[in-house]
This record gives sequence, C-alpha cells and structure tokens, in this order.
Amino acid sequence: MMIKKIDKNQFKELFDKLKENYNIAAPVLIDKNKKTLVEYHYIDDFDKIDWDEQADSSPKNIIFPQNAPVGNDYKEKQYYDTEQDTLILGVRSCDIEAIKTLDQVFIEDEMYIDKNYKARRDKITLVGLSCPQRNKSCFCDTLGFNPVESNYAPLYIFKDGNEFWIKVKDKKFESVFENLPDGNQDKLEELIEKRINTFTESSFELDIPIPLPEKEMFEADIWEEMSEKCLGCGICTYYCPTCYCFNFIWEGKDGESTKYKNWDSCMFSTYSAHASGHNPRDSKEKRYRNRIMHKFSYHPLNYEGLGCVGCGRCIDRCPVNLDIREALKLTEKYLEEKGGAKSGKD
Amino acid sequence: MEKTDMLPHKAEVLEIKQETETNLNIKTFKVKFIDNDIRKNFNFKPGQFMMVTVYGLGEAPFGFSSSPTEKDYIEFSVKEVGLVTEALHNLKEGDKIGIRGPFGNGFPLDSTEGKNIIFIGGGIGLAPLRSMINYVLDEKNRDKYQRIQLLNAFRSPEDTLFCDDYQWWENSKDTLVKYTIDEPCEGWSKCVGYPHTLIAEELDYNLPDTRVFTCGPPIMIKFITERLQELGIEPSEIITTLEMRMSCGVGKCGRCNIGHYYVCKDGPVFTLEQLREMPDEY
Repeated sequence: MMIKKIDKNQFKELFDKLKENYNIAAPVLIDKNKKTLVEYHYIDDFDKIDWDEQADSSPKNIIFPQNAPVGNDYKEKQYYDTEQDTLILGVRSCDIEAIKTLDQVFIEDEMYIDKNYKARRDKITLVGLSCPQRNKSCFCDTLGFNPVESNYAPLYIFKDGNEFWIKVKDKKFESVFENLPDGNQDKLEELIEKRINTFTESSFELDIPIPLPEKEMFEADIWEEMSEKCLGCGICTYYCPTCYCFNFIWEGKDGESTKYKNWDSCMFSTYSAHASGHNPRDSKEKRYRNRIMHKFSYHPLNYEGLGCVGCGRCIDRCPVNLDIREALKLTEKYLEEKGGAKSGKD
Repeated sequence: MEKTDMLPHKAEVLEIKQETETNLNIKTFKVKFIDNDIRKNFNFKPGQFMMVTVYGLGEAPFGFSSSPTEKDYIEFSVKEVGLVTEALHNLKEGDKIGIRGPFGNGFPLDSTEGKNIIFIGGGIGLAPLRSMINYVLDEKNRDKYQRIQLLNAFRSPEDTLFCDDYQWWENSKDTLVKYTIDEPCEGWSKCVGYPHTLIAEELDYNLPDTRVFTCGPPIMIKFITERLQELGIEPSEIITTLEMRMSCGVGKCGRCNIGHYYVCKDGPVFTLEQLREMPDEY
C-alpha cells in the first residue's frame, strides 16, 4: 500500500493529469432553480468538487443509470454505453457498500452476469472518501459499517482541512501517484483514530437479528401502522443507493427499437400487477413490507450483507417523513415482545 | 443460449392455432428459432418458461406447452389479457418474435420416475402441464412412470384446449383422461363440476406413491391442494407452478419475489410443502 499526502494545489494538478486518461465524476453543488443539491456529475474543474456534504443522490446514478440502453432485440445487438475509464471521486463508505451490493447482484452471481452493468463497472474506479462527520439522518455505523474507511475502493482519500491523504491500495495505480510526496502512516492512523472517535456515539441503537426472520416478520401486524402515511411515490427507492429493481421498456418501432433497462420501484402499485389484474402486493403496507423485508431479510438470505447501508437518503427525501429507523425500531420492539427472535438463517 | 443474455433470439411463427373462440381467447403458437445452432442447442424441461418478445413492444413470460421431445419446434399458449398477449394474438404465420430462456426450475422429472402421476389442469393452466404430459406419454419415456391420470377442467365445452391431443392421450398405455366443465351443458356427456369435487370419485387417487401436478387459476389451486391433503396426499407430493409478473427471468428485476424466493429462478414450480414455508404473497 502507498500513502501520499498532498495539498489542494497538488491535488488540482493531479486532477488535471488524471483528466487526460479518465472521465471524472464527483459530488458537485448544483443549483436547480435555487434549490441547491449535491450530486455526482462528470466534471472538468477540480474546484467544483464539494467534499463536505453528503451527496443528495448517490453514485448509483452513474454505475446503474436510471435508464440505460441494453440493445436492439431484433438485430440481436447489445449496446454498451461506457467506453472511457472513469473515476468516481469522493465516494463515502455508505455508497461504497451500496456499490458492493450492486456488484453482488449484477456481476458476482454465477447464475447471471449483467453484461451491460459489468462493461460499465469494469471501466469505473472508486475513489473513496473518509466521512468527516455524521449527517442528520445517516446511520451506517448502527448497521455495522465503518464511515471512516472502506476496503472496497482501490483508492481512498482522507481529507483533513486543505490537506488530502491518499491511500493507494491497488498496485496498478501506484505509477500515477509515485511522484507525489509520501504521507506518514502513523500520522494517518492518528487521524483515522481521531475521526473514528467522533463516531463512537451511535446515531441510534438497534438490536435486530439479520436476516430478519422471514415468515415471522412477514406475518407481523406492524406493517399497516408503519406504512399508513406512505404515498407510494417511490422517491425512497430512487434515492436509495442499493435499490436496483428495474424494468425493460422499448423505444422506437419494430426492428429499429431499442430495449432500455429503466429503474422501477417496488413501491409502485403496478410493479407486481399481473396482466390479468391480480396483484400479489395490492396494498401499500404489502409494498412497504416488501421494501423493508427485502433489505433486512430477503437480501441477506440471498447474498451476504444487508440491502440497506444506512445513508439516510430515504429519510431526508420522503415527502411524508417516513423514517426507516422508526420501522426498524418497531421491528425490534415487535420481536422483543415476541420473546427474542432468531434470525432468518437459524 | 447464454444465461447472461438479455436480448432474445429470433424465431419464426410456424403455425397459430386458435384454441378457444368466445369467452376466453387462447391461441397456441408453434415456433422455431431461425438460427440452426440455437435451435440445436436449445434444451428445456417441462415446467420451465421463456420470455417472448414482440419487437418494439414488450416481453412477457410463457411456459412451454410442447414437450422437449419435440425437437423441431416449440409451442406456447397465450391467453389474451394485456398488451403483449394482444400483440401476439395479432401475429400471422411467418412473422418473427424473440425468445429468451429457458428460465426457471421446471417439473421434477427424475424424482417422479417410478411414481403414479395425476395431472389436474384448469383452463390455460393445462398449458405447462401439457409439456410434461406429452413428455411422460412419449413412447421413449412412458415406461419410466406408473399409471397416469389427467383431470382437465374447463369453463365450458367452448373453452377446451389441446383437443388434438385427446385421442392419443386417451389411447396411451395405462392412462386415464377425464374432462370437466363448470356447469351442465347440452351435448356434454363428460364430468361436470369444479375439479376438486371430482378427484375422489373420478380418479384413482389412492394408488401408492402418487404425485399430483396441478396448475390453474389461483382459487382452483387453493381448493385442489386442500382437497388433496384431505385425501391424504403429502404436501411434498403436490406440485404446482406459479405465475408472476416478470421482466428479467433471472431473479434480478425484483418483481416476482415471494419472500426471498424469486418465482423466475427458484420456481415457477414449487411443492405445497415449499409454499407453506414461504410468505403468503402470490
């Protein structure tokens, strides 16, 4: 592993050098009619990067775009939408964990590899960013993730004021960084230690078994109350960095049409509706239950890890203030009253 | 076909058979892949399904209704209910469609060997069963199975499906075929009534080592499975196949899940024993 320590100007030079070989995306402050947002966008200018705020939307938008062409069915021609190597700068632990989840689902499943996703993902390098402080709604540490560091990104940045420490974990990037000043490992450890201490107090305490017991929680009588306010707008799933449900749509006529993979949402009533009219999830509590259970029971049963990374975006975005933390607390209470639950794997 | 592929292979519609006319509009499509290699390498099991593309419009899942012992073509049966099925019904012989698959687990052929088999199909639910019926009655396979009994249920005489098969089904060795419609009808001399009410009187349900395969409307499956259990058939020997809305066919797009199972890849065939362990959401 290589550790480098550079100041803002040096980073700026590095950025301009990287630009020659990479498309670079990073969180930038944008002004959508004065409602400012931080989102991941492709940029040319280092000064545009917003290092301090958790981005409103996640880098999912780049790795798994809201709509992406799959190919032309008739011509049996697959389309790939990424050609150049891409760096995504400033990806925090929650979003790195979320990308790990998407990778699990789309490329690490021996039964099915999503060619379009893999082609795009193979060109993308994540440059992690140590989280400087807790945001108002996030709770990654409650779920057992480390906001300060993540091993899944081959490059990782610790920003300390105007200084940047860069951990180069993958040898293949060493040549890019070799001429930059070295950083002292002990000093970096100190910084990490100090930062971890700012997260010692958990945002909220939670004691639930993972995976949640599938049938028991499915049959629990808590879902109606929990979802009473839900409008079914799906914004939670769109801002969620791990939600990956999709649908195919076709644009263009007959032989010239393009098949697109578009985001879909399990919160929409039409999502699981059969053509016959039958709908297995015909009410909002069933749909809300499916979303929570997918993240904390079904996904952990099918893959390793959770389907939620505690980024808190669904909490910030929900128009009726539904809070996934409250759903989890209600689940905890329900299982506690039932006399201590076993996880779904037992 | 590569499991990684989200694009279909082109197939030609060889023949379209109008199964029913009036109340239920069901057609059976006989198709074959254009590409010789794909045609040669395409293997499926009864109970599996495919995604059928109407170019430029959409895709929908359909079970195979022909047996894999038929090497020259594939058949599937379509009830007109939505956009894709309507477009399929408007196709003409010679038109091209796309096919992805096969998907899903299929019926347990191997573990059924040596057993007595009962098939109970309701309406279009007979389509996936027909794939297995034609497989087990195929002369190459017939001796692997004991007595085979069919109870085919339809709304009315006008809704009967796969009529061309009846004669050879009835003439097959050690095979009993029964037909029923919901209500009495002039000119109909076979059984009348819902199929669950007929199991005890019309079928030899209590032969040892009997396995039952059933498919039909959800309400029919519910009554059939209840009745079979009353008659002493073990839940592990009651096998059904489920329908769900699907997009991908490989357990990724999300919509066909029942708990952590995806009907497209963990199903669509489940035993009643398995279904009882799963959340009740289908």
